[in-house]
Amino acid sequence: MPVADEQPVRHPNKPFYFNTSENLLRIGRQKATNLSELWQGLQTCPDDSIFQHTFRTLQEHHFIRQGFSNDFAHWCLFACNEPVLAEQLASVDVREFTAIEGLRRRMVGIVDEFLQQHPQSGARVAYEPFYFCASSIVVLPTQFAPDTLRGFVDGLRHVSVHSIHHHFIEARLRLHRMSNDFSNWLEQEVGLKQSAESIERIDIYTNTMEGVRQQIANIVEHALN
Amino acid sequence: MKTEDQRATMNPSTTGSQTPADGGHTGARTASVDPARGAPSGRNIRALPASVLTPPPPAPSPRLDDYRDIIGQAQVDALRFLARDLKKKSIKMVNSTAVGGGVAEMLNRLVPLLSELEVPTHWDVITGGNDFFEVTKAFHNALHGSRYELTKAAQEIFLNYNEQNRERLQFEEELVVIHDPQPVGLIRSRDKSSASWVWRCHIDLSNPDERVWEFLRPFVEQYDAAIFSSASFARQLPIPQYLFYPCIDPLSEKNKDLPDSVVQKVCDEFGIDRRRPIVTQVSRFDRLKDPVGVVHAYKLAKKYVDCQLVLAGGGASDDPEGAAVLQEVKEAAGSDPDIIILDLPPWCAFEINAIQRASTIVVQKSIKEGFGLTVTEALWKGKPTIAGSVGGIPNQIIHKLTGVLVHSVEGCAFQIRYLLTHPDFARRIGASGREHVKENFLMTTNVKRWLLLFRILEESKAARGAGR
Repeated sequence: MPVADEQPVRHPNKPFYFNTSENLLRIGRQKATNLSELWQGLQTCPDDSIFQHTFRTLQEHHFIRQGFSNDFAHWCLFACNEPVLAEQLASVDVREFTAIEGLRRRMVGIVDEFLQQHPQSGARVAYEPFYFCASSIVVLPTQFAPDTLRGFVDGLRHVSVHSIHHHFIEARLRLHRMSNDFSNWLEQEVGLKQSAESIERIDIYTNTMEGVRQQIANIVEHALN
Repeated sequence: MKTEDQRATMNPSTTGSQTPADGGHTGARTASVDPARGAPSGRNIRALPASVLTPPPPAPSPRLDDYRDIIGQAQVDALRFLARDLKKKSIKMVNSTAVGGGVAEMLNRLVPLLSELEVPTHWDVITGGNDFFEVTKAFHNALHGSRYELTKAAQEIFLNYNEQNRERLQFEEELVVIHDPQPVGLIRSRDKSSASWVWRCHIDLSNPDERVWEFLRPFVEQYDAAIFSSASFARQLPIPQYLFYPCIDPLSEKNKDLPDSVVQKVCDEFGIDRRRPIVTQVSRFDRLKDPVGVVHAYKLAKKYVDCQLVLAGGGASDDPEGAAVLQEVKEAAGSDPDIIILDLPPWCAFEINAIQRASTIVVQKSIKEGFGLTVTEALWKGKPTIAGSVGGIPNQIIHKLTGVLVHSVEGCAFQIRYLLTHPDFARRIGASGREHVKENFLMTTNVKRWLLLFRILEESKAARGAGR
């Protein structure tokens, strides 16, 4: 990841409050035993189910560097043996969406198109059902609320990966814009526009969350030094 | 470090007689093994060293800070933050056995940790006569899918003992958690308490005997929430259902880190050669664990790769079926000196730990399984793990990412060959498997789930109160 060659232009006015989120899994009422039922479930399940199986599952599997994107793709490969559909679903980057509705439409569209091209696949019984789940989420403060860039890096290195996920990945649903809490703060409070953009370009699907943490820290430290 | 007396206060309170309802190892801690068990009874069966013939003293309960090096300060902080708003609010846990079985083992660790977080947690055990526990054992098997003739007499025995316990127990806490079907009828006391009531079901209800389930269902539906160990174990219910994966304690005898010298010593005692690859399955001698299938898989793999097979388990000396399965395993093993069969007493957690750590690959080729905590143990030790795709195992093993799932003897044999000849891949899935356990299946994650659930139920209780 190339890092921007720029320096902080001002001292932050507001501290960066590192929060973290913890979640409790709820078992939903819907399940799919074949691809047609998945297609139906994708259209009717609650928003927090879509969130769970895309955004949240990345947190639960933050230690995997490659081969895991979302629960729908994983199920299509390992329970339905449909690698083409699995690849298409896996290629959906949750960070392209600032609202669940758009993400849901993309997922439904991919399955819909696949079933139109492969109608015989729709009713084939999966090796194991897909259970739609959802999360109850509690946001918690951490002890880190730095008001300097050095303190920011220090906090970044010490918070849990759940906190990184909260600020870096889930943030766009909160902000409703294509950004994240780290880039937002660095750009608005410290004037590190290029660094903010570099952070936004980090690929979460080829990195573990620890790797993401390290890359963000490297970018900010480069600006500091 | 806690004293013996302090530990004793964490044990559940009971009065009256108690009978294990789940076939657990009640009294195992005070037992000693039949001396004949120490003697080899076949070429593959290894003699047990004298050190394992009597149970060790119980280990002290860890403190929350003892987990800091494992889960990190940030996660310990998160637990403290979660507990902060619950201080002075208390929990009651009720189950049917104080010793033996996974539930009691889990509560023994969970209760002190919650109390340390200033969420006082009381553990009560229901009492009952042999007739009650015979009925609940039959219910347990029926809920797992066995055929059962539910008689009026059995229903009355179940209800009468639940009523007796209901009269005996007080429910003054803010959260009451009833574990498994045996005490499910205690929900009739909810009118007398302002608590949230939760039913924690540790068993797989995916294919129950319908009559038994229909008998229990009206009780279950009165709870505020139910908890299952896997989405696939749940039923359609009108109440919220949560997913709490079972967990292991990374500081227990079974899972704590061991110096290599200790691992070596245990291997020496059992005649396991660490210079050559070791393939291990740890499980009771039970057909559902398919130990004979493991022997066949090993023999198929051995045509291509050198390795030893260790089958470490128990259940052969106190269970006629276990003895028969052990005999089948011995016959399948034949005269191969590289197959090492260990019929261990139930308190050999430390030795199991060492054997798992010495292993190159761990196998759990079950045909039917609950959650499969032996898989969790192997993953925690960073071992590349091959397991049957049954029960809760697919929750733990993401195929080719945190382990390998197999569906046949031949598949198992191929994966043994592959993992032994591709050590980089084996190391990678082993490392990911450990991280998966760290994230989802440790005791500290379980503590977090209870705190989250307690907070969520308290918030919804407050919202209901505000809406009135």
